[in-house]
Amino acid sequence: MIDLLLNALSDIASVKTLLLLLMGVMFGLMFGVIPGLGGTTALAILMPLTFGMTAINAFAMSGGIMGAVAMGGAISAILLNTPGTAPNAATTLDGYPMAKQGRAAEAIGAAATASPLGGLFGVMTLLMVLPVAKELILLFGPPEFFLLAVFGLVTIALSDSTNLLRGLISAGVGLMLAFVGYDTVTGGERFTYGSDYLFDGIPLVPALVGLFGVTEMIHLSITGGTVAGDAGEVRLHGVVKGIKATLKNWKIVIRGSLIGTIIGSIPGVGGTVATFIAYSTTKRADPDPESFGTGRIEGVIAPESANNAKDSGALLPTIAFGIPGSAEMAVFLGILVLHGMQPGPTMLLNNEREIYVLIIALTLSAVFSAIIGIALVRWLAMITLVKGQILAPLVIAVSLVGTYAIDSRPGDVVIAAILGMVGYLMLRFNYPRLPLVIALVLGETAERGFLQSMMISQGNWEIFISSITSIIMVLLILFTLGWSFIPGILKSRREARAKSK
Amino acid sequence: MKKLVLAAAFLFTLVGCSDSSNDPFPNRDIEIIIPYNAGGGFDAYARSLAQYMQKYLPNDVNILPMNMPGAGGRRGASHVYRADPDGYTIGIFNMPGILLPQIQGVKINYDVNLLTWLSTLSVDGYGIIVDDESPLNSIEDIKNMGRPIVYGATGPSSTSYIATTIVSESLEIPYEVITGYKGSGEYILGVIRGDVDAAFANYSTIQPYLESGDIKVTAMIGIDSNDPNIKDANDLGIPELSNLKVVRMMAGPPGMPEDIKATLEQAMLNALNDADFKAWLESTGNDSFPVNSAGTTASVKEMTLFYDKFKEFLD
Repeated sequence: MIDLLLNALSDIASVKTLLLLLMGVMFGLMFGVIPGLGGTTALAILMPLTFGMTAINAFAMSGGIMGAVAMGGAISAILLNTPGTAPNAATTLDGYPMAKQGRAAEAIGAAATASPLGGLFGVMTLLMVLPVAKELILLFGPPEFFLLAVFGLVTIALSDSTNLLRGLISAGVGLMLAFVGYDTVTGGERFTYGSDYLFDGIPLVPALVGLFGVTEMIHLSITGGTVAGDAGEVRLHGVVKGIKATLKNWKIVIRGSLIGTIIGSIPGVGGTVATFIAYSTTKRADPDPESFGTGRIEGVIAPESANNAKDSGALLPTIAFGIPGSAEMAVFLGILVLHGMQPGPTMLLNNEREIYVLIIALTLSAVFSAIIGIALVRWLAMITLVKGQILAPLVIAVSLVGTYAIDSRPGDVVIAAILGMVGYLMLRFNYPRLPLVIALVLGETAERGFLQSMMISQGNWEIFISSITSIIMVLLILFTLGWSFIPGILKSRREARAKSK
Repeated sequence: MKKLVLAAAFLFTLVGCSDSSNDPFPNRDIEIIIPYNAGGGFDAYARSLAQYMQKYLPNDVNILPMNMPGAGGRRGASHVYRADPDGYTIGIFNMPGILLPQIQGVKINYDVNLLTWLSTLSVDGYGIIVDDESPLNSIEDIKNMGRPIVYGATGPSSTSYIATTIVSESLEIPYEVITGYKGSGEYILGVIRGDVDAAFANYSTIQPYLESGDIKVTAMIGIDSNDPNIKDANDLGIPELSNLKVVRMMAGPPGMPEDIKATLEQAMLNALNDADFKAWLESTGNDSFPVNSAGTTASVKEMTLFYDKFKEFLD
């Protein structure tokens, strides 16, 4: 394996290849920053350019893009409360409050450190499990998909104990939106009202752009002032503090990366859920969970380390079976085919060299994009000083154009606009928005997994505890539920006993 | 005076018109609609072909592939159907993918038989696949299982699902289908994992899985089998089932002028026979099956008749 890595390194170490990788990084950062656009769009746009390149160069550039979007997306999540890409949504929870307190630079510093560390950790995990990739992927079938989705939903339900009911209502709306469209199990159409657009369901990225980007800009233009308005001054020199805090919290980085790699490897669930679970696990393990959401740096470190680790995870099913672990990987598979390779179980045998090049490119890209991110922090943080009247129209226009650019569907823009207004109402009446997003991602996986399991087992519920994987998942769900309720119950019992004495 | 200006303006417009129509086709870039997302085999095929096709078009114009995913290919088909038949908008389609909704009576904004069919690019059949260690080796084994066989498939209006139904009904095999898999990769995985007994998968898609020894083929539908142990539609006694294949075809809007049609048709056929394109096909496990416009139009008609006949299974 070491010699394979060294070979790949020497493949990349030519001026042209490195330049293409850097070009990918710049492109990835830019597409990451703009809400709506992300790695998928960036890869799709650059795909025709790879025609004339060697496969190695094409992979170096693709790796550059995929490794850099996470960093770009974190920047807009922190500065504008608008996740640049879907997996950055969890970063807004504490990143934006930090920006509001004038600590944007510190938050970006933390994200820029957590990203490459998470990327490195993910790559190491990937290299370790690559020989057993096939067996790992085969552990997940419809019952396990269902349980995993339930686990995700349980995590959201319990993520905010002070706001439990509102969180559940928000998640319920998310589930309802998730069920719009063509149902691949029964073949029926639901809530489409004959529209070809709704046939494909409510898309995630426009929904995110609306709920976060548009909402935040409506809010900003109504309250007036700047993002960092209440901070008094913006500390531009917090970067080092952010870097140090991340290194100090290495346990959070490792946990986040592990969660990112595992969840990232499961097709259809992906990064948005991975970063969110990394966030809420860190929150729950903290002695002071209530303070999350007010600008805790740990709330940036956890999701951002998971974010870069998830790319390595997503490579697993892609390499082992040719099944893309994420939307980006789907486009990447297209690039593979264009370069004369055949996705599927033989890839690891026939295209080992190219795969290692991609792995190295992903790692280098995470490091490069972090360095660029840190270098630009001072100027980027200035955005929080721009007046709302100037910032809001700009951000709304750019995000809506970005939304349209994904598939050139006008419906996407309408969804973003409507959900932007819904999001503003949610913000005003204190309903959390992230549960809606997570439920929108997981609703389909949960339903499909459940129906398929029931069809396979002919209605026998034992299918949900019939494999070791599913038993572990059930225990994990019970444990998560127990952890959040039992301490409360014990406490009230103790108090009752103390009173009766 | 006013009249004079109007007349002059009118004349200018006329001159303008005749000018551009005198320019031989094509005089600007041609857009080729791919009705699926970027990435994936279909998209790669279309993009690769577009590269070679522009080599064989006069006037150095480019062919710009454009992804227009949505509604299982119907959005792209509607777009091409509604476009001007000037040759600058064409599409690459999966048949019977865009034909099935029309047969099933789904509300659609196009008519497959009115599109101007330009050429056939590739033809693929199905392999009925099972896990490598499965005791099933033939259709006979499947019939004698003692219980209905369980297939995996994508949605109930997908081509693979329809092929599964038509073959099983015609051969009187008791069966069940677990739907909802997100693509062929996922249901092939379902076969390997043991969620389902078997599945209908495109023959070109399963090559790497056959090579790695994860699965084996029990029968082939839509293509002829050279292996005496694997039966095809003729061996099974229902040659008509060879109509169950997946064909990639190129089409333009209805009513395309003959000369424009001929230019595009020729460029496509030349591209399909290009040595470099063939080398690409070879290395990616893809195939080509060039058929001209007339032949393609005829086979679209034939397909329509075939699926119309099995309409009762398509609901």
